[in-house]
Amino acid sequence: MRGLGIEPYAYSWNRTHKATQLQEKYADLPAGGVADSDEDRVSVAGRIFARRAFGKLAFLGIRDDSASIQLYCDKAKLESFTQLKSTVDIGDIVGATGTLKRTEKGELSVYVDNLVILTKSILPLPEKWHGLTDIEKRYRQRYLDMIMNPEVAGVFRARAKVVSAIRRFVEDLGFLEIETPILQGAAGGADARPFITHHNSLERDLFLRIATELHLKRMLVGGFERVYELGRIFRNEGISTRHNPEFTSIEIYQAYADYNDMMALAEELVTKCAEAIFGNAKLLYQGTEIALERPWRRASMQSLVQEATGIDFSAFGSDLSAAKSAALSALSPRKDESLQTVIANCATVGNVLNEVFEAVVEKTLIQPTFVTNHPVEVSPLAKAHRSFPGLVERFELYICGRELANAFSELTDPIEQRARFEAQIRAYNKQLEEAAAAARDRGESAVKQHKNDSYEVTLDEDFLTALEYGMPPTAGMGIGIDRLVMLLTDSPSIRDVIAFPVLKSQQ
Amino acid sequence: MEELDPTQYYNNRLASLASLPTSPYSQMFRVSMTFDHYREKFKGLSNGERLAETTVSLAGRVMSKRASGSKLVFYSLESAEGTIQAVSDARSLVGGNFAAVHANIKRGDVVGVSGNPGMSNRGELSIFVKEIILLAPCLYMLPKGGKNRDEQATWRPGKPRNPNAYVLKEQETRYRLRFLDIIVNPEVKFVLETAHSAVNYIRSFLDQRGFREVETAILNSKAGGAAARPFNTHHDASEMDMSLRIAPELQLKQLLVAGYNGVYEVDKQFRNEGMDLTHNPEFTTCEFYSAYSDYHDLMTMTEELLSGLVKKITGGYTVSYHSNGYDSPPVEIDFTPPFRRIEMVNGLEDTMGIELPKDLASEEANEFLKKTCEARGVYCAPPLTTSRLLDKLVGHYLEETCVNPAFIIDHPLIMSPLAKQHRSKPGLTERFELFVNKHELVNAYTELNNPVEQRDRFVQQLKDRQGGDDEAMVLDEDFVKAMEYGLPPCAGWGMGIDRLVMLLTDSLNIKEVLLCPAMKPPEAVPPPNEKGTPQA
Repeated sequence: MRGLGIEPYAYSWNRTHKATQLQEKYADLPAGGVADSDEDRVSVAGRIFARRAFGKLAFLGIRDDSASIQLYCDKAKLESFTQLKSTVDIGDIVGATGTLKRTEKGELSVYVDNLVILTKSILPLPEKWHGLTDIEKRYRQRYLDMIMNPEVAGVFRARAKVVSAIRRFVEDLGFLEIETPILQGAAGGADARPFITHHNSLERDLFLRIATELHLKRMLVGGFERVYELGRIFRNEGISTRHNPEFTSIEIYQAYADYNDMMALAEELVTKCAEAIFGNAKLLYQGTEIALERPWRRASMQSLVQEATGIDFSAFGSDLSAAKSAALSALSPRKDESLQTVIANCATVGNVLNEVFEAVVEKTLIQPTFVTNHPVEVSPLAKAHRSFPGLVERFELYICGRELANAFSELTDPIEQRARFEAQIRAYNKQLEEAAAAARDRGESAVKQHKNDSYEVTLDEDFLTALEYGMPPTAGMGIGIDRLVMLLTDSPSIRDVIAFPVLKSQQ
Repeated sequence: MEELDPTQYYNNRLASLASLPTSPYSQMFRVSMTFDHYREKFKGLSNGERLAETTVSLAGRVMSKRASGSKLVFYSLESAEGTIQAVSDARSLVGGNFAAVHANIKRGDVVGVSGNPGMSNRGELSIFVKEIILLAPCLYMLPKGGKNRDEQATWRPGKPRNPNAYVLKEQETRYRLRFLDIIVNPEVKFVLETAHSAVNYIRSFLDQRGFREVETAILNSKAGGAAARPFNTHHDASEMDMSLRIAPELQLKQLLVAGYNGVYEVDKQFRNEGMDLTHNPEFTTCEFYSAYSDYHDLMTMTEELLSGLVKKITGGYTVSYHSNGYDSPPVEIDFTPPFRRIEMVNGLEDTMGIELPKDLASEEANEFLKKTCEARGVYCAPPLTTSRLLDKLVGHYLEETCVNPAFIIDHPLIMSPLAKQHRSKPGLTERFELFVNKHELVNAYTELNNPVEQRDRFVQQLKDRQGGDDEAMVLDEDFVKAMEYGLPPCAGWGMGIDRLVMLLTDSLNIKEVLLCPAMKPPEAVPPPNEKGTPQA
């Protein structure tokens, strides 16, 4: 091409309009009509996705990030016509200037008098994009996925809208965004295996954060009353349709509020996001209609489990064996051995309740449901319930069988918080020891596997010191942004809503 | 005043709280309005006036407590919106014995009060307490003294500051116990809020111009887009080594290939390097890419963005900055556009009175620069690549002159593996860096979008790596492949947010503007005593 005097990589292009702007501006131009005054001179740019040439006429379909528009190339008007016919291909990025014309078939077109190749594509676009047949390739070459499937680009447009709607919503309520560190000396605030890295000049191992909770709560101690952080969280766990090792969450903390306030906030926030995308509060996920009319159902974890299994967990008190045998007999028709083992190994009645809930109830919560009042044993950072001993002031929001939000009245008592952390670490270490013993029985490779699977859980002393300085009564909530976007864009996998998901390295 | 041992204070406090009939950590307290709202609503009261029919609830931390006789106590309550006085007299207090109620409340505690709005006889807007509840006790003595709190509360970005005047000034304690730093040094809250204001301004500036914010991956199978040593980690489930990104550039450009016309990302980058006054292992950048634009367009945008941002946040175009330390007078940095432009090669030749070899990629050029650096006493650590030698000279002779914002432009191609070659100056690129207070703040260029040339440049970088420059960029095949599908002509831009915030907040150390800067172990530090000095 350089031989023909054409520079295949231009320096810039002065565009006056995007495609949608022209579609709107010339909506009233009738079929066969032209708009060719000086004011109708426009300049557009985009990638060619369609090309038809007939003798002295050529039609190029180009797409920018707003929409597509046709370029009407007439040899009589376009000096470089012959040359371009032989050099311009599908996939090339071009700039064009001209006036407007609507074809007899009703297609709004730029009647081109100057056409320039801005970037030559040297690889041909695939004839047919593999789509579902090669999902891995779609994620690996996300740019091709977006070029070939405008609806994929639509998902990411929706994602940007959701994130920006959330930010606007919380900022309007006076929340301030705080950036807490990703690299930490101790990974706390959740129960998850962290990524470990090493800082050379400090000569120390660091963890990637598994939650933003403990650092944001320190800010409440500092005197900020409404803070949030929307950012990346990392968990060194498996990949699935619901899990990517890095994901985006928003955590929100509000002083002088409790978990009831957070329920109202969650309803409002999810509805605002749905409106930002659909303009109304109706949504369809994988064929199921989800009704967002408020208020959403609120039900305690105990009552939901009782509804599903007939077991009244509040009757057990601390009678662990009674709780286990009731749970095991209710779950026996499922013939799920690993579940039976998990129940048999539970250390407290609260753990049994939680396991039964996850096994039996979770998937059935299709319409928005606040599951409330969890057992204290599975909620180490939540405040004890003001009326129900053994339970905490907490909720998880479920939609389409997935946890979307987790919130509680925050525990503010440093003495109790320390006791809860220590109990958690004891329980975890006991589990580890049992697993280690079981591994030793199975032989060397099992021991090695166990070592790989286990990680250390440590106590965040600075956080406890912060609580000792006094944190006001506070409520906090975390929402998984990726899962929210999945729901709002009808996407079956989390990898459909993350532009660059983690993929296994290529062979 | 008698000096109390902090441990003893802590133990005494715990014991006295344990003797209370109920938990000192209240379940919930609802405030009926914020401090700002309260001031707005009741500022018109006249001295001595008190609204006996109106009851409001406020909450905050007790920053001072003063008794006047046995029947009157004054509290200064502090919230996120400043201070309001709470006045409690024995006659008005309901529920409990006056002396006993107040004996349980100490300086540092978080309390809720309900009572009547009123103006004290001396004209201070107050709340006259009917009920006061301990919400969360403070088990330690708060450091007391230092620079006047009211004075600190009037500090705003752009004004000079002096952290050495704080009551709590020991850096280890301040940065590790940042919440305490914020409680006792009110200026710090404004410093941290400045980052938020700056990022909000940048987001809305770019949103208004049609850019879309995206999130690219932090965990990658390799780290590209810049010359730096990455943090490595391991993903267990897929048994894969991964690196934390050092720059989002290569993925953002892939999104332009995908069809976006303008994208940006404001988020963290990670570099496994030493720490100093301007470097922290994790830091925040904004990068944006604009299709069909070139670096001239971006220089104009930079001027608009920065001058507008400084104006919005500080109220004017100049900021005060203690470049020479807090003991010397501050300099004024002027962000009034347009910014000065210095062509790198011409600038060096003029300033140094030399003529650089035409072909900077040649062996001769390398020899020439080695000799020049040596002759002028400009030290460069090995390996002595041409690119590194030039960088040193530019630092010494050009960057030093850039106190007010100035663009250094048109870098040699060998220094810029991702920038497009200059349309009219052979051997140079269409690139600029913006320097403010002698430090790089922005780096931008017309992007190289020719995949063949991009691959050649990576090969050259590989040679530098083999020559010992382990900060040279690695080839990213996926990125070059994306480029083969056609990257539109575009220009890209990156700015360090933390450095910008340092300038706006007169912070000489990047740690000042980070919530939790990276620190050496040990993890936990003991709380300081009442004078703000660390305990042994």
